[in-house]
Amino acid sequence: MTLILALETSCDDTCAAVITADGTLRSNVISSQGIHDAYGGVVPEIASRHHLELVNAAVDDALRRAGATLDEVGLVAVTQGPGLVGALLVGVASAKAIAAARGLPLAPVDHLQGHVAANFLRVDGGEPIIEPPFVCLLASGGHTLLAGVEDHDGFSVLGRTLDDAAGEAFDKGARLLGLPFPGGPALERLARDGDPQAFAFPVARGLVGLDFSFAGVKTALLYRVRDLGDDAAREQAADLAASYQHAIVEALALRCEQALEQTGVERLAIGGGVAANGALRARLRRLGVTLGIPPRELCTDNAAMIASAARYVRPQSFPAYLALDAYASGERALA
Amino acid sequence: MIVLGFDTATPATAVALLDEARPAQAAERRHEPAPGERPGHAAQLLALAAELLTDAELQFGDVERIGVGVGPGTFTGLRIGVATARALGQSTGAELVGVSTLRALAAAAEPGAPQGTGVLAVIDARRGEAFAAGWRDGEPVLDQAALAPAQLAQLVADEGGAWLAVGDGALRFREDLERVGCSVASDGSERHGVSARAVCRLALQTPEGTARDLVVPDYLRPPDAVPPSSRKKPTA
Ligand SMILES: [Zn+2]
Repeated sequence: MTLILALETSCDDTCAAVITADGTLRSNVISSQGIHDAYGGVVPEIASRHHLELVNAAVDDALRRAGATLDEVGLVAVTQGPGLVGALLVGVASAKAIAAARGLPLAPVDHLQGHVAANFLRVDGGEPIIEPPFVCLLASGGHTLLAGVEDHDGFSVLGRTLDDAAGEAFDKGARLLGLPFPGGPALERLARDGDPQAFAFPVARGLVGLDFSFAGVKTALLYRVRDLGDDAAREQAADLAASYQHAIVEALALRCEQALEQTGVERLAIGGGVAANGALRARLRRLGVTLGIPPRELCTDNAAMIASAARYVRPQSFPAYLALDAYASGERALA
Repeated sequence: MIVLGFDTATPATAVALLDEARPAQAAERRHEPAPGERPGHAAQLLALAAELLTDAELQFGDVERIGVGVGPGTFTGLRIGVATARALGQSTGAELVGVSTLRALAAAAEPGAPQGTGVLAVIDARRGEAFAAGWRDGEPVLDQAALAPAQLAQLVADEGGAWLAVGDGALRFREDLERVGCSVASDGSERHGVSARAVCRLALQTPEGTARDLVVPDYLRPPDAVPPSSRKKPTA
């Protein structure tokens, strides 16, 4: 069986994965660097250095766990962007060289398309998580957008955040509550013991269209913490966290509902690090539409989703891709 | 043995192919960005290597050893070079040899330097500093370091003797170096560019390949410290 090997190094996780030509997941290696926590954020130069040290071992590992060798790989895929350009370049240079050395074709993949395509994977030998058409909420620390997915090879942007990304809002809220980076998971844990109705934070209902804004809720939390004072804020940290998380989750769910209504599609999928949030997953399950929720390790950054997207990208044959470069920002024109 | 050698530590991308049986005929291809243009490492490196191989009627799989300049130099350039070398080795089984970029720069200039004249390899490290190291008659005399030009000039003066300086840093800091009696090759001299042929030769002279995971850039500087508050996690 011809296999697809994929690399993903757009941020701080060094990822490699192997899938089969029909999208069956064979291995999904995520080498988390962890070292950024001490800095309260991802330091691009440190991330890039670690990618270089980890990437070949991640590929070895992905092949070994797939029970395969490079001889069985028929296509190499890699995240071309968007992301940290220095980090992306490690993956792009490595993927190009692995492919070129064997004369294999290469599929450059857009990171956001990868998150959408995570839904096309067959996990545990089953059917794809969800098939088009569907609306996909992509929410992470770097991007928050609603994608209209009509086919496997692209999406249209229905709405996007006008300021912070949802994951960023989680991280900033966590910092205001004195939680360690990465803040999202820590805030979610703290929120479990709190009352989501204790404080009324704004949900940005007034926005026209399907765009998001998280600046208001963050500012509201900042003022609330300041008004309460250190001691009271510490005492009510769980309630603050639960209410803050509730406001973000409601904002996301509200836009999903509106997008489903607007497109007339009754199928919703999610991707991105925020899609791992349990409160969001539970809230979206109550929408009563067909829901595609990938396992958490396929929601956060991973290479299996890049391999999945590669199935629908026209690959570049050797040597056409030798001059391929990474791109840092923006979304590539998607069909 | 067929050796592919390249260096991406400076804005140039230099690639050479050397057949041990015909070392004098080693072919080299280079890309030098125009003034103001960004380095083309990502787009140029494998493309130039493929051209050299095609000319020699060889394929990547025929390369038995890969020499890669490990710096010091620009961080992103170094990573593109080292990542490419490591992945080529991973895919073909070719041996890897990490080569000091400063050593390659000096080695290419040594045949043109009179005996007893030290060769100082100097790379522009930006932020007003130079990466430099010196050899005399092939023996290391000045250890590599990141230095302000005045410090470098002082080190050369303290060491004494005649010196020839090469590299983009030697051009950049010509005045500081000439002030202490160090001669700098003329502006247009090709000796200021890192020679990929020299990378091939140095890789060939190394008795054995290096374990893949030990082939890493010689950054010589800690990562840039950027305050985390000004940055966001761009993807997750
Ligand atoms: Zn992502």
